Amino acid sequence: MTLIILGLGSSALAQTYNTFEPSKTQFMLRGYGHTGFEYLDTGGEQESTFLGATFAPIFLYKHSDKLMFEAELEFELEGNELKTGLEYADVMYVLNKHMTVRAGKFLLPFGTFMERLHPAWINRLPSRPLGFGHDGIAPASDIGVELRGAFDLGGPKLNYAVYVTNGPRIKDGSEEPEEAGMLDFGYYEDVNLAKALGGRIGLLPLSDSSMEWGISAYTTNSTGAEDSDYKDVGAFLWALDLSYVKSITPLQGVVDIKAQYNSSNVDTATYYEIEDGISEPYSFDNQSSSFYTQLSYRPIMSGSDFMKQLEFVGRYSDFNAPEGAEWEEKSTQYAFGLNYWLSWRSVVKFSYQTTKMEGGHDSDGTTRTNGLFVHWAIGF
Amino acid sequence: MKTTTNFKAAIILSVMASIMVACSSNKKPIATDTATEVAGSEVDFKIEKSGAQLWGEVCNRCHIAPSPADYNDTDWETISLHMRVRANLTEEEITKIESFLKSAN
Repeated sequence: MTLIILGLGSSALAQTYNTFEPSKTQFMLRGYGHTGFEYLDTGGEQESTFLGATFAPIFLYKHSDKLMFEAELEFELEGNELKTGLEYADVMYVLNKHMTVRAGKFLLPFGTFMERLHPAWINRLPSRPLGFGHDGIAPASDIGVELRGAFDLGGPKLNYAVYVTNGPRIKDGSEEPEEAGMLDFGYYEDVNLAKALGGRIGLLPLSDSSMEWGISAYTTNSTGAEDSDYKDVGAFLWALDLSYVKSITPLQGVVDIKAQYNSSNVDTATYYEIEDGISEPYSFDNQSSSFYTQLSYRPIMSGSDFMKQLEFVGRYSDFNAPEGAEWEEKSTQYAFGLNYWLSWRSVVKFSYQTTKMEGGHDSDGTTRTNGLFVHWAIGF
Repeated sequence: MKTTTNFKAAIILSVMASIMVACSSNKKPIATDTATEVAGSEVDFKIEKSGAQLWGEVCNRCHIAPSPADYNDTDWETISLHMRVRANLTEEEITKIESFLKSAN
C-alpha cells in the first residue's frame, strides 16, 4: 500500500515538474516607460508641466531559434489626448549565420540613433537631437522587407542591412502649405509604384568592438502620387554615424561618444502659396541636413558608490532646412545633463537645453528656447 | 550648404581616424586560460573572447550591460534572438553572450 502511494505521489510530482519545463515557443513582454517635468522659456514666454507617462510595451514571440515576431506599441498622453502608435511590427527569420530577413514595419537602419538609441532608457538625454522625430529629416521606420547580418573579420567586424520599403510621401502643400516640399516619413501607405531602397554598412575596426562607424543611404525615384505633379520628384538621403564606447582606466570611467550626420536631397519642384487669394508658384533647392555629437562619461571605477551611478552628458546638434522653403530653418542646440542610474535600465535625468532657431514654419526672426528637464525612464 | 556638409562629414571622419590612431596598439591581447584557443600551427593562433568579455564590450555599445540575474534562461534565449537582429551582432557574439547570461543568472 505504501509503495502504491509513493508511486502515485512520485508520478504526480513528475507531472507537476513537467508543467514548469519551458515550452518550445516563448512569448515575452518587455518595453519601457518614462515620465518627468519640463520648464520651457521661449522668448520670454514660460511654461512648465509634468509630463504624462509614456508607455511603450514590446511584444516578443520566439517561435523557434530562427523565427521571431516583434512589435512595439506606444501610448503617450499629449494634453488630454491619448496618442497611440505602432513603432514596429515585423517577423524575422535567421536564414544563416550571416543573414536574417525581416518583413513588416521595422525601424530603419539610417544611422543608429532611431534604430538603437532613441528609447528613453537608452537615450542619455530627455530630448532627441535636432533632425530626428517630428519634422525631422531622418527616416525612422517604414513598411517593407530587409536583409541584414554581420561578419567577423578576425577581430574587426562588419555588419550590413539592405531594405526595400514603401518610401515617403512628399507634402505638396495642399494640406499644410507651410510644409510644402517636406518628406513625410510617417505616411506609410504607398502612394505610387516606386519603392525606396536603402541600406547601411557598419564597420567595427577594433577588436574590442569599442568603435563603430557606419554609412547609410536611402533613395527613391518618386515621392508623389501616381497622378500628381510630384510623381517624378525623387529623393536621396545619406548619413554618417560614429560610436565609440570605451572604459578608460586613467579617467576611472566609461567614455561614450556618439555622432551622426544626416543629409537629405529632394528633387526641385514647384509648389504654390496663396497670397491675397492668388496662387503664386515658387520653388527652392530642397536640401536639408542635421548633425549631432554627444559625449557622456560614467565614473564607474570611482571609489564612491554614489559617483559610480552618475553620468555626465553633453550634446550639440543642429538642423538646416532649405532656404526659400516655408519651413526654412537654421537651428542649433546645446544640451547638458546629469544622470543618476538606479539600475542598468532605470535612470533619472536632469538636463538643461538651449536652442536657437532662425526661421521655422514661416516664422521670421530668431527664437531662443531654454529648457530644464527632469525625466525618469525605466526599461523592463 | 555643400561646404557645411563637407565640413561636418570631415569632422566625423577626422574623429574616426583620430580614435583609430589613438587606440592603435602594438600590444598583443593577454590570453587567459579560459579565453585562449590554440588552433592550427604553432605560430597561427586566434584569441577567443569569453562570453563575459563580449557581454561587457557589446551590450555597452548602446546601453548599460544587463544584469544576468534579471531574467531566466528562457527569457535570455528570447532576448538574445531579438538583440542579435536589432543590434546586428554576429552569431558568435550572441551565442557566447547568451551562454554567459544563462550561466551567471
